[in-house]
Amino acid sequence: MRIPMHRFQYTKLTSDQIATKLRAAESGPTSVSPFTNVLNGQSLRIVTQDGPTLAYRFGNDKRLTLSENNGGNVSAAYGELTLNQIVFFSHLIPGTQRGYNVYIDQDTKLVTVFEVWLSSGITSGTGANQFTLDDREVQRQIYFGYVDNGQAAPAQLHHYTNRIAGKGLYWKQDTGIETLEFYASVANTNFVELTRHIDNLSWVSTSDYVLVDDRTFIYDRTECEFSGIHTTFVADLYNVQQVGARFGFNEKDEFEYYLFRGDGKVVGQLAYLEPFDERGLVPTWAGGNAPPAKGARATYRPVRTFTHMTDAAMQAAADSSTVAFGGGPPTDAPPAGMAANNMPFSDILVGKTFTLRFDHGGPVRDYRVTDMYKLSYRDQGDGVWHDVDYRAYEGDDNLAWFGHIITGSNPRAATLAAIDFTNGLATSIECHMGTPYYGNETTYRAIFGVVEIEGLETPLYKRHELTHELVGHAFSWSYSDQTTSMHLYSSPHSMSWTIFTGNQTMGAQWCSPCLYVKLRPGVYLFCQNEEACNGAQMTELINTNISHDCGFSFTGSAAGVRLNLVGAIGRHIGKFDILGYYGPQKRDEA
Amino acid sequence: MSILKPRASRNPEVADKRRRSLFWMLGAGISTALASTTGFARAASGTGDASAAGEELAIRKLHRAYEQALDSGQYDEVIGLFADDAEVVFNGESFHRRSQGVSRLYGERFRAGKIGKRMEQAPGFEVDAERRRESVKVSADRLTATALFPFSIQVGAPIETDSSLASMARLHGEGVRTWWEGGEYDVSYVKAADGSWKIGRLEYRTLSRANYRAGRSHATRIPA
Repeated sequence: MRIPMHRFQYTKLTSDQIATKLRAAESGPTSVSPFTNVLNGQSLRIVTQDGPTLAYRFGNDKRLTLSENNGGNVSAAYGELTLNQIVFFSHLIPGTQRGYNVYIDQDTKLVTVFEVWLSSGITSGTGANQFTLDDREVQRQIYFGYVDNGQAAPAQLHHYTNRIAGKGLYWKQDTGIETLEFYASVANTNFVELTRHIDNLSWVSTSDYVLVDDRTFIYDRTECEFSGIHTTFVADLYNVQQVGARFGFNEKDEFEYYLFRGDGKVVGQLAYLEPFDERGLVPTWAGGNAPPAKGARATYRPVRTFTHMTDAAMQAAADSSTVAFGGGPPTDAPPAGMAANNMPFSDILVGKTFTLRFDHGGPVRDYRVTDMYKLSYRDQGDGVWHDVDYRAYEGDDNLAWFGHIITGSNPRAATLAAIDFTNGLATSIECHMGTPYYGNETTYRAIFGVVEIEGLETPLYKRHELTHELVGHAFSWSYSDQTTSMHLYSSPHSMSWTIFTGNQTMGAQWCSPCLYVKLRPGVYLFCQNEEACNGAQMTELINTNISHDCGFSFTGSAAGVRLNLVGAIGRHIGKFDILGYYGPQKRDEA
Repeated sequence: MSILKPRASRNPEVADKRRRSLFWMLGAGISTALASTTGFARAASGTGDASAAGEELAIRKLHRAYEQALDSGQYDEVIGLFADDAEVVFNGESFHRRSQGVSRLYGERFRAGKIGKRMEQAPGFEVDAERRRESVKVSADRLTATALFPFSIQVGAPIETDSSLASMARLHGEGVRTWWEGGEYDVSYVKAADGSWKIGRLEYRTLSRANYRAGRSHATRIPA
């Protein structure tokens, strides 16, 4: 698969189409690994807290009968795998679009039950932004309970947890599928399908984390807003093994329903920043005064409310209004929003006349700078001088980082350039409005070259370069006292960002492609566009020596185009050791 | 169930059981607090001691119920403590009638801004001790009363932006810019036909505010 998951046009499968495909799966799940037979011939009654009572009888032929809440018996095919003391089994209920994934701890008799279903009819959003979830999106409801042998109900059950937060694992299933999974949120997973998506981009899906004991946890993720497919497993972190199930429709509209085993490796741990006495017992979606509805989860669905603009409409809006930095010099108002913690502006360019010459026929621009907020430039291609508003930072010693709009551009464009006046190097993030998908998203690329200025020798071969040095690192970025996001640089071409809850638990999360450029040791450019989200581009110079970034946002909407400021104080949250999983690889045939 | 092997538990995860127990204990504590709030409201309904001291006690309990409901974000409970023709003055704006302005204020603005949670005073911005006294005066006919109560609360407003950070924060009830305010409530009470006390007028008199949240080591001035 090479189309990014959030760009893929998934079929709006109807409930009838789903029902037809589920009927073909009534023979139960498949498994590459042999099924286990612990449940053969057994009967058990599972009592859950705030959920159903499930009475099971298991045959010797991978079939079971189930009575829900003392109702009538239904017969279904099932699959079963064990991991240590955990017995996991999965089945659908024939004639319906739902089923159960059940984890039984044979030592404690405690049970975690996932009820899963399709064609939910659940609505999300409010008012004009209300919509019904896609029928293909697997829903889940988790119940904690126990096997009732007539004993007193246990005082403690399995429970939600933050103990997995910040952990990163590599997994290889018996199917050959390899994933990197970063549990950098109590409610999401940032994951990379190393064997499924050719570009190894990372994606974000809603997740739940359940603690069984210190070495064992139960997990799920549902690829909401993508194919809607659901993955669940129990993992043993001593031996780093998993057993679980995959249930739902893939991007080819094939119904996947199989059990799997997997082996893994812990690739790192990020710090988590909530109070030490916060255990994550209450999910982020369940903290209100009213009990959450069945299937509730906190899922970010940004494209649902993102307005589509054509290229022509975007350009018309840009012609009507293109504003850089509010227009004119800074006011006395204190910096706010995404720039409240920005770095100061610099006069590093003032008094300089120079040329930025970019490689491979790239633009060659002459600059004359006599003011801290306004400069003159011309593209040698047309030779016309333009006066524009600009802002510059000194991102590292004698390293200028500045940006301005390209006057009269169509599509509207900007250059965000780093100039190393010590080494004679220049890099520009060239950005313009429009992608193949939305006129009001931006497209960006990095171009490399040199600065020509009197008294400085210009290198012939040396250049700034794209880099992977940041891959695996995570930083929190505090744009203001009340606006912080954690960036996880999760792959060479993508990243995720995570928003903290009120007590600094890592909560809502989303992802995007991005690029990284190395300017100097510890000093980088980072650029991403929140595509299929809000179309906003953020381009930052990250100086890890001072844990601070500074830069620009470039956005377009019906109100026009804006080039604004972004900057934040950072904290290094940790690093995953994952670079070895990326790049072209020899792989066994799956 | 025979499949459940009778192995001795190798790892009962004692620590987590304790945490679970604590969670349930906290849940019980919350329930107790809410029951207590209900009790306050009942006491405030005027069925108790009708002496002046008893009326004063009922007023204080009503105010505690108001603060408790605000603190826990139970804004519908707050609205129920007001008289039909009540008025609230907040940040210089007046909101009239329980079913209209008062409901909008608490049900929308307070809820969206997560306003009313109790906080310690912001260090360096404390309200003078003399302005933190409570007083309750019940009229001779015991049909009206006035009171002053200090407050020290979180105030906030939704972050108005289309940024993904704010919209994602709203998924878990955040996306709100908060700060601290201290001052006094100037309240008038009326006795309803059923003998219960209701809030007739409540004015927030903010005497100090600061950029401060619980746990921070310092507070800063909020720019004008």
